[in-house]
Amino acid sequence: MIKQDLKSLEEKSIYVIREAKIKFPKIAALWSMGKDSTAMLALARKAFLGKVPFPVIHIDNGIDFPETYQFREDLTKKWNLDLIVAKSKIKPELSGFACCGANKTVELKKVMKQYGFDALIVSIRRDEHGIRAKERYFSPRNEKFKWNYKDQPAELWDDYSSKLDDKGHVRIHPLLDFNEIDIWNLTQKNKIPVNPLYFSRNGYRYRSLGCTHCTIPLKSKVTNLNGIIKELSTTKIEERAGREQDKERAYVMEKLRALGYM
Amino acid sequence: MLVKNITLLGHKDHGKSTLIGNLLIQTKSVTEARINEAKKTSKKLGRQFEPGYILDSFSEEREQEMTIDTTRAEMVHKDLAFAFIDVPGHEELIKNMISGASYAEIALLLVSAKADEGIRDQTKRHIFIARMLGIKKLIVAVNKMDMVGYDQKRFEQITRELKSFIERIGFGGSEIYFVPVSAYNAENLIKKSPNMKWYRGKALVDLLYLNAKIEDKMKVGGPLRITIQGSIDAESETVVGKVVSGVVKVGEEISVLPFGKHAKVTTITVKGKRAKKASVEEDVAITFDRPINENVRGAIIAGKEEKPKMASSMEGLIFVTGPIKGNLTIKINSNEVRCSRLEILRYLDTTTGEEMKVKKVKELEAIGARLTLGSKVPIESFDRVKELGRFVLYSDRKFAGIGIVI
Repeated sequence: MIKQDLKSLEEKSIYVIREAKIKFPKIAALWSMGKDSTAMLALARKAFLGKVPFPVIHIDNGIDFPETYQFREDLTKKWNLDLIVAKSKIKPELSGFACCGANKTVELKKVMKQYGFDALIVSIRRDEHGIRAKERYFSPRNEKFKWNYKDQPAELWDDYSSKLDDKGHVRIHPLLDFNEIDIWNLTQKNKIPVNPLYFSRNGYRYRSLGCTHCTIPLKSKVTNLNGIIKELSTTKIEERAGREQDKERAYVMEKLRALGYM
Repeated sequence: MLVKNITLLGHKDHGKSTLIGNLLIQTKSVTEARINEAKKTSKKLGRQFEPGYILDSFSEEREQEMTIDTTRAEMVHKDLAFAFIDVPGHEELIKNMISGASYAEIALLLVSAKADEGIRDQTKRHIFIARMLGIKKLIVAVNKMDMVGYDQKRFEQITRELKSFIERIGFGGSEIYFVPVSAYNAENLIKKSPNMKWYRGKALVDLLYLNAKIEDKMKVGGPLRITIQGSIDAESETVVGKVVSGVVKVGEEISVLPFGKHAKVTTITVKGKRAKKASVEEDVAITFDRPINENVRGAIIAGKEEKPKMASSMEGLIFVTGPIKGNLTIKINSNEVRCSRLEILRYLDTTTGEEMKVKKVKELEAIGARLTLGSKVPIESFDRVKELGRFVLYSDRKFAGIGIVI
């Protein structure tokens, strides 16, 4: 995995976050307490002189790890975050694709409507998944949250899209250019707090965090950031290998994203 | 590691995705899992292994064997990383091609050597677009050499023809390189191929490296220009933006356009930290010794004396991507302004670089035009400060073209 020049990555992200906040006053960010969305919040603080200038949303299905909830409480206090918890209910009869669609996407739709948000910062990266590589920095979604990936608007230079109409919203992806290793490099250099699940316990650690039902830890003895960065520079295993939803069907991610999943 | 963005260009089916796929495999830049996935897909679709499947990830892309939207893939060579931007070669997907290519520093054009393929309109049009996007470095890979018996004459014929087109449209950058390759067999990609001993130049990856090492000196010594995105919040007088040219220092007297005001820089913050100065490509938060203006979005900070002109009309070269009719607006450096009049001065064929006989605006061709704007905005020629000399044209809010200020 390529460790990129951090300075240029940061410049791009800070520009995009500022552009998002200035263009869309009714904006919020998704925060899963994972490494990516936490790194994004750290960059937002850099962009806005120490303050995260928008609410952060946690779609809480009640089955996240205890460590994740604790991390949420601690950082909310420390960074003075405007946290919105949107509770969703797990339906035991659903799993994988249907579960992610029913839980996270439906709840997200509700909360965006309730608060009137018309833009949403999502901390996805191109290297996570082939489909995510196709995203733009600013990506309009229609009223039903659909991503029309076959007909995306042009996005060139620093000219970013607006909303399609009054009913849709825009997804903003400030971390698109980061690789997994770059997130950790940023985290280390800036001393960004880390969810402890990423470090090894009993020979296993999490590389990508979903909820307790669909996330499987990988074999690893790494207990610090140096170790993670070293591990990633040689690994041959895909980051989302422990995420069930990706493997279920070849094009499941494409479908999830088209339907409004993050 | 520094990452250099490279856009692939060329007609559909001339092997862009295959080339990147094989470069990634040869340099071990993709995981086994990704390669195996591509192998499985090839098998499932009843085809020979296609390295391009590593990149094309929409189901439609694989099934229809075409790239629909841009994607990005990374590779390391020596001390540099290359990010390849694969773009669709189909005419109807030109807006996706432009979006992907606009981030690139180097263009890698593919042209198939096969007799029934060769130089196509789209091959030349992509060169024209690269030039309009301000890409100064161009490498041409003549592909599918294995399918023409590694024929040196065919390679030279394509080289000659493209060179004369490039000269005609005036690419105006560094030297342009030509390399014969077989993307599918990975010949002349990383290693020189024994099948083309007549080729004396470097393998493709070494040409990319050579070009990436040539620094863009234009910007560093350029005049001070900061494009302002807006205020940090409604109450604050701190403005945020990006230095697109030159250097700004604390204590410096600057001018703010379009307001024509002067002020002294009191603080500069870069990436969350106070700094004494900021230079090109850095994001800044800046305060001044006096209030600037309430609505700063789209404003420009320049030197006290040396500043861009304010203009309500300009001459531009526009690559047309859609019908030009109804309400016209342009977006130039975060300013959205009405274009009240568009007077066409000439019609250009983007596949020949020559004036068209038929005086009609056509998609995928270009026009030279005089634009009258609804208000005065800071404007500079594209050659001087490209961020202030390029614009996007919208017709009834639809993407209708990209333009540069002449």
